[in-house]
Amino acid sequence: MELLTLFFIVLIAAGLGLLVQWLPRRHQPMPPYSQRAPFLGGGLPETHAWSRYHVRYYPMTLLLIAFEMEMMFMYPWAVVFVEQGMKAVMEMGMFLAILSVGIVYGWREGVFKWQ
Amino acid sequence: MIVNELILPVILVTVVLVVGAYLVAVIDEAIAGALGLPRAANAWMAPLARGAWLLTQQANATEAPDWRAWRLAPALYLALAAIGLAVVPFSPTLIPTDLVTGVVLWGSIEALATVVIFLHGWSANTLLSLIGAYRYVALGLSYILISMFVLIGVALPAESLQFSQVVASQAELWNVIRQPLGLPLFLIVGLGVTFWGPLNLADSRDLAGGTASAISGPPRLVWNLARSAMLVAFSGAAASAFLGGWLGPWLPGPVWMLLKMLAVLAVLLLIGRLVPRVQPERCVTLMWVVLLPLSFVDLIWAGVEALW
Amino acid sequence: MAVSRLSRLAARARVPVFPALGMHGEPALHRLALTAGIELVDSPRHASLLLVAGGVPPDRHAALRRVHDQLPAPFATLWYRSEPLIELAGATRVDELDALPEALTTLHRELMQGQRGSSPRLLPDEPPNPWEGLGDDGHGGEGMMGGVPYGRPMVMNMTDDLRDGLTLDSLTVTLGPFLPMLPPGLSAEVTLQGDLVYAWTTQDAPYPTALGSVFFRALQEPVPIAELERARARHHLKRLHVALRLAGLERLALQALRLAFEPRVEQERVTKLRRRLGRSGFFRLTTTGQGRLEQGQARRVGGVAARAAGLEEDLRGRDAAYRRLGFTPILQDGGDTGARWRQTLAEIDQSLQLAHQAEREGAHTEVIGSVETPCGPWGEHRSEDASRLLDELLPGLEWDEALSTLASLDLAAVSEWPQETLQGSTEASGNGAESCEERRA
Repeated sequence: MELLTLFFIVLIAAGLGLLVQWLPRRHQPMPPYSQRAPFLGGGLPETHAWSRYHVRYYPMTLLLIAFEMEMMFMYPWAVVFVEQGMKAVMEMGMFLAILSVGIVYGWREGVFKWQ
Repeated sequence: MIVNELILPVILVTVVLVVGAYLVAVIDEAIAGALGLPRAANAWMAPLARGAWLLTQQANATEAPDWRAWRLAPALYLALAAIGLAVVPFSPTLIPTDLVTGVVLWGSIEALATVVIFLHGWSANTLLSLIGAYRYVALGLSYILISMFVLIGVALPAESLQFSQVVASQAELWNVIRQPLGLPLFLIVGLGVTFWGPLNLADSRDLAGGTASAISGPPRLVWNLARSAMLVAFSGAAASAFLGGWLGPWLPGPVWMLLKMLAVLAVLLLIGRLVPRVQPERCVTLMWVVLLPLSFVDLIWAGVEALW
Repeated sequence: MAVSRLSRLAARARVPVFPALGMHGEPALHRLALTAGIELVDSPRHASLLLVAGGVPPDRHAALRRVHDQLPAPFATLWYRSEPLIELAGATRVDELDALPEALTTLHRELMQGQRGSSPRLLPDEPPNPWEGLGDDGHGGEGMMGGVPYGRPMVMNMTDDLRDGLTLDSLTVTLGPFLPMLPPGLSAEVTLQGDLVYAWTTQDAPYPTALGSVFFRALQEPVPIAELERARARHHLKRLHVALRLAGLERLALQALRLAFEPRVEQERVTKLRRRLGRSGFFRLTTTGQGRLEQGQARRVGGVAARAAGLEEDLRGRDAAYRRLGFTPILQDGGDTGARWRQTLAEIDQSLQLAHQAEREGAHTEVIGSVETPCGPWGEHRSEDASRLLDELLPGLEWDEALSTLASLDLAAVSEWPQETLQGSTEASGNGAESCEERRA
């Protein structure tokens, strides 16, 4: 039931968002090409903007994947944490310590810099 | 049953989001006025007049946008804000959807927000919005871990991933005191997920509005509304995770909740006005090297404190 | 009915103005930044009014037409001390600074209430290139190469990257001369790899800066040091305003601008601004150690940029009157964006202190024939345009770094006309900019 409610909330919010965009412009003609040119302060592009864009933070995204995997274990761990007691703290502490070493290493290697 | 479990939650979420987004604009206007910026004649009317202007303005197009993605992105961002608010409890009984995995859901909202914001910038097919989109991904991938560690920190004493349990676990002491690092870190996450103020890397002035630089009229209205709504949803999550949600003497629970949400909003909007935009590269380094280790400390602290 | 109520409400909104700057149009910007009810926006898509402030040289008219057409309907134009384009001969023109906010508000209201039609489009409604629907997906070429899908070619230029050598696409665009983040008038052909500037070729130099008439008088006669130094502080505060606005510090930007317009700035208020700026994190979060000028480059730019790079170049040091006031040039050694702003703030402070002291002692300048302007030394020559420097300075910088570097440099040439002549009395028929332009031509 909860999920059904949530589904309706998503539907209504997204529907509202689309409706507000669509209703006022349903009778509007398409803007002319001179208006549709990309804004560059009066300048023009030579090409489309879509391209094989050079994302400069790619090493950081790899580091993120390592952490994201770890997060999956963390949710169930959080629920049983108090039951397990000190053991859970030590285990996660160790895990985080290893990951922290990873961050420090990454930092030293400059993975947070724009490559 | 249908009324209580379906219609009431939907109405509650919609009303809080829309009224909240309006209040965000009013509070921001009031803060700007108090800080000495030129004041609008009437702070209560200004957001409405602006909305009316955006509705009458023509919706812009670019030469070859990805139409579907371009129009969907603002609506989806609004939907994400609605989901975020739906799991926030207003009182022990007044909860739009009391999911047992509310905390996990919040984590996924933040991840999906990155996708939606990227899509918004990318689909316009113009240079400045494209840069804004890719820049936001760097920010989105950096704050998401901080958010998760901090939220798991509040789940530990509650022994549950349910927001109503998290609030109930704060009956003796609010998490803002019990886990002092939590709220400041979470507020930074809030600025990130709405790309507000210092973390406005996506729609910044140096990109002439970034992902929003090519939109006008109704789509821009929805985009701005969604951003404010996300801020409202976030303030709901922050208030229940750290400020004890509905807990408080004298006043009824929902009133406490709303007051706390307003307080969080005011703090966020004030930070937005006082701190300069962070340079993207510096932002990523700061998040990973300073704030993420701090969120580890917060988690260990929360764990030790929960066992005490 | 509902529609008319909506437009009545819309007429009450804060007036969104996109400014396209012509020569010496900054006073309009400054006035509007301090006016409640007017919002200066960064993208024409966010505006209902196009304000052209100052005379636009004819070689930038094509770009102006493009920007004009990029405003979504309904929109109108307003020309401040500027001759409207031929097609828009009937457009509103205002020459009086004080009348400007009111004129904009009225224009917006009339536009919203339908009493005035939208400005006509100036350029033909056709795609940049005819789209040839060839190929499997109608992209117009053979295989992946060539063709102009939707009117423009796709990127296909493989150049090795500056930093990591990955071969990916680079985008080439022309920026400016009406991009609000660039110095007014500057346009450049820029190639970007991701958000990194790969190549920067300055095409149009920024418009020359108009200095206060006191700097012109100082070349011919002794002038009160107090007046000279106050004018200097004012110039720097206005530049600070631009940079702080770009950095998202609207509030401090306006404080700087307000100080710039005060007849007698108190030093404590500048100190306060400096302290607030330091506390806001501007130097730690926004300015990074980028945009570093080599000694030779710093000398070419002159003025603050030179002293921020550790060059002891200040004509004031040669003036005995200044030496008697205890003047020694302030120097920094970084030479980067942060150093330039620290230097600027320190110099504003120093100027006000000198002004204060000089006023008490009634000190006048003693050297004639040369003067240290806020933009650099003016001895035999006025300081000249140094925007070509960007071609070597900006490649390799990330977009945000490049723009904050740009904002910290004062590269424009000094105009041969003092500010007062260009903007002062209306008897000059507000045509200062144009007449100056004609003279130049």
